[in-house]
Amino acid sequence: MATSTGERIELEARPSLPARGLALLRQVYRARTAYLFLFPGLILFTAFVIYPMLYSLRISFYDWNVIKPAKSEFVGLDNYQMLLSAPVFRRAVLNTLAYTAITVPGQMTLALIVAVLLDQKIRGKTFFRVAYYLPVITSWVIVTLIFEYLFNSQAGMINYLLRDVLHLVDEPIRWLADPVLAMVPINLLGIWKGVGWSAIIMLAALQEIPGELLEAAAVDGAGPWSRLRGITLPLLRPTLVFLLVVLVIGGLNVYISVLLMTDGGQPLDLTHSVLTLMVKETFDRLNFGGGAAISYLLTAFVFFISVLQIRLLRRRVEY
Amino acid sequence: MLLPSERRWYHQVLVYGLLIGGLVVVAVPFLLMVSTSLKPQQYTFEYPPRLIPRRVTFNNYVQALSKDMFFLYFMNSLGVAVSTTTSTVVISSLLAYAFGRLDFPGKEPLFYVFLVGMMIPAVTLIIPQFLVAKALKLLNSHAGLVIVYVTMNLSMQTFLLRGFFESIPSELEDAVRIDGGGRWTIFWRIILPLSRPGLATVAIFTFLYSWDEFPWAHVAIKETTRRTLPIAIALFQNQHLTQWGQVFAASIVGLIPVVTVFALFQRHFIRGVARSGLKG
Amino acid sequence: MKRKNWTMALLSGMLILGLVLTACGGAEEAAAPPEPTEPPVPTEAPIEAPTEAPTEPPEPTEAPEPVAVTYWHTMSDAEVEAMEEVIAMFEAEHPDIHIEMTRYAYDDFKSALLTSLAGGEGPDTARLDIIWVPELAEMEALVALDEAMEDFDGIAAKTFPGPLATNHWKGHYYGLPQDTNTQVLLWHKVLFDEAGIDSPPATLEEFKESACALSKGEEQYGYAMGGTYFWAPAPVFYAMGGKVVDEDITTAEGYINGPESVAAFQMLVDMYNEGCLSPNLLGGGVGTSDGHATGLYAMIIDGPWMVDIYKADFPDFEVNFAPIPNGPDGTTSSVVGGQDIVVFDGSEHKEAAMEWARFLLSEEAQLKMAERGVIPTLSTVIGDPSLPDYFGVFLEQLKTAQARVPHPQWGDMDGAINNAYQRMLRGEQTVQEALDQAAQEIDALLAQ
Repeated sequence: MATSTGERIELEARPSLPARGLALLRQVYRARTAYLFLFPGLILFTAFVIYPMLYSLRISFYDWNVIKPAKSEFVGLDNYQMLLSAPVFRRAVLNTLAYTAITVPGQMTLALIVAVLLDQKIRGKTFFRVAYYLPVITSWVIVTLIFEYLFNSQAGMINYLLRDVLHLVDEPIRWLADPVLAMVPINLLGIWKGVGWSAIIMLAALQEIPGELLEAAAVDGAGPWSRLRGITLPLLRPTLVFLLVVLVIGGLNVYISVLLMTDGGQPLDLTHSVLTLMVKETFDRLNFGGGAAISYLLTAFVFFISVLQIRLLRRRVEY
Repeated sequence: MLLPSERRWYHQVLVYGLLIGGLVVVAVPFLLMVSTSLKPQQYTFEYPPRLIPRRVTFNNYVQALSKDMFFLYFMNSLGVAVSTTTSTVVISSLLAYAFGRLDFPGKEPLFYVFLVGMMIPAVTLIIPQFLVAKALKLLNSHAGLVIVYVTMNLSMQTFLLRGFFESIPSELEDAVRIDGGGRWTIFWRIILPLSRPGLATVAIFTFLYSWDEFPWAHVAIKETTRRTLPIAIALFQNQHLTQWGQVFAASIVGLIPVVTVFALFQRHFIRGVARSGLKG
Repeated sequence: MKRKNWTMALLSGMLILGLVLTACGGAEEAAAPPEPTEPPVPTEAPIEAPTEAPTEPPEPTEAPEPVAVTYWHTMSDAEVEAMEEVIAMFEAEHPDIHIEMTRYAYDDFKSALLTSLAGGEGPDTARLDIIWVPELAEMEALVALDEAMEDFDGIAAKTFPGPLATNHWKGHYYGLPQDTNTQVLLWHKVLFDEAGIDSPPATLEEFKESACALSKGEEQYGYAMGGTYFWAPAPVFYAMGGKVVDEDITTAEGYINGPESVAAFQMLVDMYNEGCLSPNLLGGGVGTSDGHATGLYAMIIDGPWMVDIYKADFPDFEVNFAPIPNGPDGTTSSVVGGQDIVVFDGSEHKEAAMEWARFLLSEEAQLKMAERGVIPTLSTVIGDPSLPDYFGVFLEQLKTAQARVPHPQWGDMDGAINNAYQRMLRGEQTVQEALDQAAQEIDALLAQ
């Protein structure tokens, strides 16, 4: 509300508190139907998400006794401090960040290729779509078991191919026995499982690009690659941003695949993801306060990163 | 990517080649799963590993399906998934309508609160959720499962549908308003019918989530006759031995409803994704 | 317009279906109070009624509502079948008590149990792995049975001392040993014959020799272990005279890194480096059960459950058991495993629960479970003709088997030894160095 004269400022002096309160109430009253729409969802959300979140936050400041909560000892920030200085935690963070840094670009790049391919004029579109989407709709537990089986160091298909078929290695690779190599099946699994999801979303976005735009550009002499760079990708930008945000959240929250394949951080607690560490702390070592602290640090980080991404990358696309 | 005028025959070959190549990568793990489910346990770890079983047996399927009330767990999962899906569609569309087409004080902060819900790892909240469910007498019941599943999905699905609803032109609302209809009528007669693809998308995502969910189901249900499918599959992994053939057999059977739902809805689904504004 | 109506109809239909299904779930819950499986027989155990749940108001002695006692466990299919018969026997003798057992997936049992306890929805009783008892006792989740049961001492006297000791914490007993087990040597007769060795090794020296003689590159390994967690090397460790901590559980220094312990681990590391011990123990390889039956591993060390497992999944394979070979001082040993039956402090039917615990330690229950490979904890049933033949070797081994450290922090101590073992196998530390580090870590845990 730009004010150019002192008079205007006077007239628009901030109303008194009760007056503002009243105006607010009036607004609320006028919007009352909206609140009706919100009501069921809000109730559920408060009971099963908000309250648990606050409960969890509270626990993180205690040495929490889960059987007799009354006996829990208040420890302030101790849980958080212990965490941040624990090598196990740092390694878990490293693993999780690496996983995200590898699987997100991996998924998006491959998905883009698949989407472009699926956008072409081909027969059997439905078949391909369903096929590429199969990993997405299969549960994490099942696909992890399959990959564990695939990468079995003594009898798995991968080692068989590498040794006896392609003769690329002499010794069987002990994938899951090595803290670093174990990341290979885990990351590959992450990419394999997620490509279809991103591909379908990108495909939908591609199909929304008006054909005339591309034709016009072709008439102007632009070849397929420059069209891709100059028109398609920029128009895809909102989709790519969305995918980036969601995939990063998923990557930071990786859990089941790591838990099952590494048997909870084995060997030597070097293969943990932040969430598997949290579950181990909570349910194995019965350190509920510490577990809650981990989950809060993770959530805060995820929130921070997501907001950062949205703020930095979101830009209106001009035609 | 290529205009019709630019297409050459070798482009088609390349496209098919790449797609089929990619398909192989995608499909091999599944083929492995099928193959192992047809092998007797002693061949699970044979070397060299064979994709085509030396000896085909359906025993794993027989064992898996006749074990421990498998069919019952399957039906339980089905019931829970259907309830969760319908309830989520209903509640999230109500929320999405409010956030997408109505104005009210506190709209933006409230929406961010919902978004945060999407970022919390579910595993974190299990114990307090258990306490709440217990207080509301929802434990050990399918209703308890459904309610929590719906809640955990609310953020994502509302976000998705909101984008959808936002993209519907407001002129359509005017027609209803002129006839004297209010917000509810607009919702029911204009927004929902135009959003079929979006609702289909919500349905698929929710069904998937509910079908595969394990941690909450494992803890919230102790009555064995009410358990869901993922638990049945987990029980194949003994303390001492994993019965791979049976695990995979059970998993394949468990995949059928999900694939069916997807196949049924996929046309709407892709159109839904396209117009959902998910992408922007 | 037609499509719109169709969609509406579909959605409404689904909504109704969904509500109906959910309502059915709710209705089931309303009908939850269990019905008695047999009509109450007035002549049987009338003394039960007044001793039930002292917190509940006294009930009329005519046809009391059967009390439901929940019992959680992680038993295998075979064990569950036997347990169902045990329950039938119990309910026949105690018509006023109904046992509801629930099976949980082993890997997730602890988290499910803790969540339920946290929510006040824990079971009345459970069959817990012996190493969890001190932990839960420390958290005050369990009833001290030696105080709550008058006949405790009498029952305890009839059990094996080793398994009984796993229930002991800070001067009280928090459970009763429901079943016990130990590990013995499994040797693959066919492979042994092929190599010209006609009997399983009697000493650990011979053990190492045979293992190496039976190893052929990657095709065959003389010996394989399931992992590096303490349970795996424990039998050989104890047979070599190794100890984790002193008798009073005050220190590990000098024990876990003492000469015998070091010698035990050194032997295993040497076997690994010489290719006689399969590398699968580091993770990601073929499991011991599968490997042994398919001839990949000539020897493994495992428990009595292998009989039923092999019967189900490898029916053509013939299992052969032998005692753990003797250590340098001429004696054998192994590690004690097993499960204890505990009663939870939050239970509202403690009396009935304890009645169930009592029954599980009766000869009939123990013998019934023995049919499925579950080794009894009652010393009085030894020699009973109905016990399976192969029990002989296990019962003999139990005489010398040792328990792991009964301490709430055992999980972390196991972790310390596990990590030490990993480091030695990977050549990051010598055996002595690795065990020295483990000793330090364990002492730190004991000091808490």
